[in-house]
Amino acid sequence: MSSFIETILGGKAGSVVTVEPDYAVINDGVSNASVDDISTVAYPDRVMVIYDHDVPTGRPEAAAILRKNLAFADKYQCKYVQAKGIGYQYMVNEVVKPGQIVAGAGTHASIFGAIGALGINVSIPELSRIVETGRYSIVVPETIYVELEGTLPQGTGIMDAAFALLRTIEGVRRKAIEIYAPQLDLHEKEVIMSMICMTGAYAASITETQPEKTDVRFDLADVVPMVMFPVDERKDQARAVIERKEVLSGTDLDAGQIGGYTGGTIEDLRKAADIIEGHTLALGFRLSICPATSRDYILAMEEGLITRFIDYGAQINAAGDHSEVVQGAGAMGRGEKLLTTGLYTYDGAMGMKGAYVYSASVESVARASYTKKI
Amino acid sequence: MKKQFSGKIWKFGDDIDTDTIIPGKRGTIPTIEEMKKYAFELLKPEFGSTVQPGDILVAGKNFGCGSSREQAATVLSHNGVRCIIAESFARIFFRNAFNSGIILLTCSGIQDVCEGGDIVSVDLDAQEVSVNGNTFKVGKIPDNLFKIVENGGLIEDTKLRIKSGVKPLDITPLSIEESRKTGYTLVEKILKKNAGRSHVEPGDIVITKPDMLMIHDIYTPYLLDTLQKMGADRIAYPDRVTIVFDHCMPTAVAKNDYVHYDAGLELARKYGITKLHIGEGICHTIMHEAHYAKPGEVATATDSHTTTYGGAGNFCSGIGTAEMAAALITGELWFKVPPAIKIVLNGHLQKGVMSKDVILKILGDITASGGQYKSLEFTGEAAHEMSMEERFTVANMALEAGAKCGLFEADEKTAEYYGMDLGDIDWIKVDDEARYEKVLTYDVSELEPQLSCPQGVDNVHPISEVAGTKMDEVYLGSCTNGSIEDLKVAADIIKGHTVAKGLRFIVVPATNTVFKEAIKLGYIKNFYRGRSCHLSSLLRSVLRHALWSHDR
Repeated sequence: MSSFIETILGGKAGSVVTVEPDYAVINDGVSNASVDDISTVAYPDRVMVIYDHDVPTGRPEAAAILRKNLAFADKYQCKYVQAKGIGYQYMVNEVVKPGQIVAGAGTHASIFGAIGALGINVSIPELSRIVETGRYSIVVPETIYVELEGTLPQGTGIMDAAFALLRTIEGVRRKAIEIYAPQLDLHEKEVIMSMICMTGAYAASITETQPEKTDVRFDLADVVPMVMFPVDERKDQARAVIERKEVLSGTDLDAGQIGGYTGGTIEDLRKAADIIEGHTLALGFRLSICPATSRDYILAMEEGLITRFIDYGAQINAAGDHSEVVQGAGAMGRGEKLLTTGLYTYDGAMGMKGAYVYSASVESVARASYTKKI
Repeated sequence: MKKQFSGKIWKFGDDIDTDTIIPGKRGTIPTIEEMKKYAFELLKPEFGSTVQPGDILVAGKNFGCGSSREQAATVLSHNGVRCIIAESFARIFFRNAFNSGIILLTCSGIQDVCEGGDIVSVDLDAQEVSVNGNTFKVGKIPDNLFKIVENGGLIEDTKLRIKSGVKPLDITPLSIEESRKTGYTLVEKILKKNAGRSHVEPGDIVITKPDMLMIHDIYTPYLLDTLQKMGADRIAYPDRVTIVFDHCMPTAVAKNDYVHYDAGLELARKYGITKLHIGEGICHTIMHEAHYAKPGEVATATDSHTTTYGGAGNFCSGIGTAEMAAALITGELWFKVPPAIKIVLNGHLQKGVMSKDVILKILGDITASGGQYKSLEFTGEAAHEMSMEERFTVANMALEAGAKCGLFEADEKTAEYYGMDLGDIDWIKVDDEARYEKVLTYDVSELEPQLSCPQGVDNVHPISEVAGTKMDEVYLGSCTNGSIEDLKVAADIIKGHTVAKGLRFIVVPATNTVFKEAIKLGYIKNFYRGRSCHLSSLLRSVLRHALWSHDR
């Protein structure tokens, strides 16, 4: 039996394959750097230029990046996507089909594994090459099979499970991970997929049929609330310490952010709204709500969630990725502590160096908003 | 300080700006004692080394114009200048000078009969100045203001008042019947009612007891600091104070904004201020939406666009941080009664032409300095046809012409907006016997949409002249145009359209109330469905960050 990665890349583990990705993603986050190198575009309609990070622009430098990306998209007639929210989440929802291949620069590209597509994380030069040639070559990796058993205990969220999984799975560097977890809903699968390549894995996917072998068994029933700690530098994000939340219990907080594909989807927003119901936002706690996509935003409005968040005292941000903010909504000051559903906790990820960013589940952030504590 | 004094004259011409008083490049010298040597260094280099305490400046029109740097007044004060006589003074300089301990006297004629080095004698009781055998009349300086000067300026004066126990000023506001007396401009009517004065005229100083003081989060750290320097452990009327966290919410400038947020909370805690609006919307909109600034009352805030509530016939004007601190402690604030310009708006606005177009047209005509320390007072059928929101838009922008305030008459719409009896506020009415400095009459029926173009708010052109200009970003919001009516106009226009590729369309409802209403009415959904809209509750009335790149 072939693994998912073997099937989609069209070669056995260890063999060299060349594929033509269905999409290459350039956004205003990190991957816009590739625009500087690209001198030709092989398939303009496969290149998605997405405005989803600094929304609306908080710095002149960010506006300059937008102009660069727009000029690039215009020049080569690429697809330009704006105001749809986080690009990957938008593409999972509305663009990418099972069996397709998406190349992007970042560890979260694996989110496409949730719908049976392959998301690959490539370097900036590689991304430029893919855009220029339309081709991508790779030695097909081995696959590690993971089975998730049981169900999550009350009070924990899927992000807690993903964090626990990151601590458990070892030796998967440059390998593919295939996860069998039929009890999870699509959103939960997306959260697991978007986070799992922080293990250093090459790619990941969800399999809907039970594989013949299982390398790792993981019982969701054992999951407890988790926190990812601050880390010094962005390049070491995958090495950030992940611990049980209770070791930080009682730590004073200044702000919370609920957003991203791990906190800003309609499923997450519903959860957050339920948790805060009947509570009062703690005085001195700044809560930001960042819907993941425009669709999530509109649904949240229609369901009355946005109005509930406003009445609670939260700030509602534009749909987009607000997990890394140099200057813009939600930036933190020196010495302040933020609990976020975002996945970047490096020094300076959310404003000033010297601010402390902790990552946790939507359940944990929502609860912290009325206690002002982890 | 005596009320009769003499001094040697330093003579100046017209339009002496703050940069002439103290060059901008000297502005970063850390102490005023060091800086004061450079006063007038470009115009009269000898001034700094030869000026003597008690010397008096005599100047022409518009003394102290230009940037609002408080240092211009403080360097003169530290050089021992206690009195300046001029034909007129720039608005901000006027306040800064008194608050720095300098008496300003407005006088025409003396300039023609004196030279530098002559001795001028001042008699404040007799309201006279004399030089070389000529005597001229000057305006009255009220005792309270004289006391500020006598005590060495506002900060020292406030410290002394705290020491001797702040006693509330005994003012009985005029009754509604008394307020109906005709022969006064709107600003005169409102100020004299609050100050309990049977008569005022332009140039008079009145001591008011503001009904509402608003602080926003840009100034919270400085205000907290000033209150502490003054030694204030309490403020006069905590229930007449509101703090709005809007410029720095959500926190966006990482190294600063949290300091402003924390200082706002500390102000509230320390001084018992309970009217807090944290991230709920733009301060000026909240001031009328929450009915904090009411028709016929006096409100003030640490912001230039404070003129907004003039749309409801509220006298409101911006003040500095030190003044706000003193006003919080004493519950009082002085104003010089401004002269008024009556603006008659005849005719009916055509469909698609908004009140913003009216004020832009006026701004283009009278320029950014055309309303300098004036009260712009709007009347005429088109003014009454405007909704409250439209009036707030016009009043908000009166400031852009340098005006002290922009006032509308109170009518049924005003009464309905505030849930008040019209009979209680109908005295806020333009009457024919009032003396206006100027009357401007417009027929708005002919007006086409107007644009204020870069660089300067008074560079106004009709839309036909600029149509076709390529845009990178469209911004709908702010304290001028973030109301539910504004959002409705936009939502109707974009219906069935798609935002152009690459254009950033940013929609910012002015307050959470507007935001929630817009959600309910489906406008926000329309904006999102129109694609490319970045809806945001970044309720920043002033966008401190460039939103487009420098290379355009």
